[in-house]
Amino acid sequence: MLASILASGLAVGAVYALIGITYNTMFSTSRVMSFTAGQLGMLGGVFGSLFVLRLGLPVPLGLLATLSCCALLGVVTEVVAVRPVLKSLDQHLYVLSTLAVALLIQHATALEWSTEPQPFPRLVGIGAGIWDEKYWLPVVACAATILGLEYLYRYTLVGRAFVAIAEDNFAARALGLPERNLRMASYALAGAVGALAGFAGGQLLLAFFANGPLLNFYGFIPVALGGLGNNRGAVIGGLLLGLFQQAANFMVGGIFSSVAVFTLFIIVLLARPQGMFGAPAARRV
Amino acid sequence: MIITRRGLGLAAAATSLSMPAVAQNEPIKIGWLAAMTGPSSAPAIGFNRGVMWAAEAINNSGGVKGRKVEIITRDTQGDPTKAVNATQEMISQLRVHAIWGPTNSGESLAVTAIMARAKMPNIHPCVVDSLIDPVKYPNAFRIAPSNTQWDDAVRSYTLNIAKVKKVAVIGDTTGYGVSAANASAAAFQKDGAEVVTKANIDATQPDMTPDMLRARNAGAQAIIIWSVSTGMIARLLNTRAAMGWDVPFIGHPALASGEIGALIDKPANWEKVYAIGYKSCSYDASGKLPPRNQELVQRLQGKVNLQDTLLWWVACGIDAVELVTKAVEATGATSNQAIIAHWNSLKQYPGYFGEYSFTAQDHNGYPVSDVVMSAASTGKNGTFALAPGYG
Repeated sequence: MLASILASGLAVGAVYALIGITYNTMFSTSRVMSFTAGQLGMLGGVFGSLFVLRLGLPVPLGLLATLSCCALLGVVTEVVAVRPVLKSLDQHLYVLSTLAVALLIQHATALEWSTEPQPFPRLVGIGAGIWDEKYWLPVVACAATILGLEYLYRYTLVGRAFVAIAEDNFAARALGLPERNLRMASYALAGAVGALAGFAGGQLLLAFFANGPLLNFYGFIPVALGGLGNNRGAVIGGLLLGLFQQAANFMVGGIFSSVAVFTLFIIVLLARPQGMFGAPAARRV
Repeated sequence: MIITRRGLGLAAAATSLSMPAVAQNEPIKIGWLAAMTGPSSAPAIGFNRGVMWAAEAINNSGGVKGRKVEIITRDTQGDPTKAVNATQEMISQLRVHAIWGPTNSGESLAVTAIMARAKMPNIHPCVVDSLIDPVKYPNAFRIAPSNTQWDDAVRSYTLNIAKVKKVAVIGDTTGYGVSAANASAAAFQKDGAEVVTKANIDATQPDMTPDMLRARNAGAQAIIIWSVSTGMIARLLNTRAAMGWDVPFIGHPALASGEIGALIDKPANWEKVYAIGYKSCSYDASGKLPPRNQELVQRLQGKVNLQDTLLWWVACGIDAVELVTKAVEATGATSNQAIIAHWNSLKQYPGYFGEYSFTAQDHNGYPVSDVVMSAASTGKNGTFALAPGYG
């Protein structure tokens, strides 16, 4: 039982963590919580199944095509739903605009793909039982993503520009950084990360249009637990969430596990409103 | 020209005298509320093939006493609001003589009272028990099993044929899944069986190991499933195989859905799975359907595609059209009262899907003895093999 909790808990947790990173990546350059994050994860599974299983592309090519499609969708989200509302961030219009795009994606997928879950292919064919690839692939994808992002933000010029925009938008623009292009690039990057979550977790979640809202909800929890904009916090929060959820599934069963998850979530936020790893916002007076 | 009172009276009399002739040539208009598109479109597409085939067959053979059958279809997309609008259009503008459908309970719950107010003869195949109430809805007749009949069939097979006394009842978290699982568990307990565990699982839950382990540890000898979620069912079956457990799955017709075949890890995972089916559309050990439907399948060959649908949907669609036309043929009238009175008098009417019997007090026309269990993985041209134990 413990092995099963660890295997599936870490796998699902890694998917949630990647969706959390998707939220953070979009938030860092725009200060917008885009509710398309879960839909990007859902599309990772759907495009993966489409390219690899239906169209018969080799797995690396299928992965590349999936990431590209979702990156493009990330850019479209930025242009259609984020850019027009940036001037009135305090009115939180982005909630409506990004939710609208999310719904659009979900309904289009239901109409064009299927309303029933579709199979997702085996990708590398390694492992069985609790070592099946469906359990370790999301964890590997999550680890690769966090390492890649750390490298990007610390050692590349573009990454440092991302950080500069995230730290102080106005100062970065004053220094001549192309804020709009960097924001579009961060949305493309977020699209690719979301797609990777769905692709790596495809064998667990299947290619199913209804996965979007699920990932939107459960992917948001690591962000809130780990602290907004904190990728390392999102990973730890995501993995803890997956493990707790799976343990609750064993202890109290399906319906009640969701209740347990959200109860714990509320308790944590009451104790630490800024998240477990976030610092309280400082204001110079 | 001066219109006098006498002239007007004569004109009215002449018009009324000509009415019977018009009515006798007027087509028999059957409204068809079909969710042809949207998430629950598969059944309606199957029903529609039967409806169109039946109408064409009747019209090609001269119609009903010279009157053609006209099918007026409205795509409700599975949306109760659209079903309400279409029903009102059929009643007040199109003035149909009877309505067939809707084909899912959500829509039917929304339109049944509207049809009752208009006294519109209505046949439908929806399973929710409360949709049939001869006192509140004397116009509504069901030609498919109700939820209770499904439940009875599953319980009867589990207790009397599979000889299982300890069951785990699993539903999804939809309203249907919760209520069906609760009702099933209560009925099993009432019949002396032990419900060792009852669970409602979110259909998107990625790993079913916890629920299956709990059922096995509790000593379940059969898993009773009440869900339409093929993803959840496939995950449960894959988990059963991964656990090396051969417990039978018995329950909802969705267990036999073709989608499951694509989602299971290997075909063997679909063995020992028994879904609700129908005697009229099940083949025996020699691969033969009951003679009446064997002959129907031959007649449908080349005209109606049965590869991607279920025979019972097609047969039920044919029966619906024929129930209306036979009522008009028998009574010579298309009035609401005549059609409803005729249906109330039917006793073992030989349809393709089943032998329907109605009385003024009972509008559940489908015989419970015709609801059987099918071997879920044996789908062939929309029909299934009978589950083991039927002799």
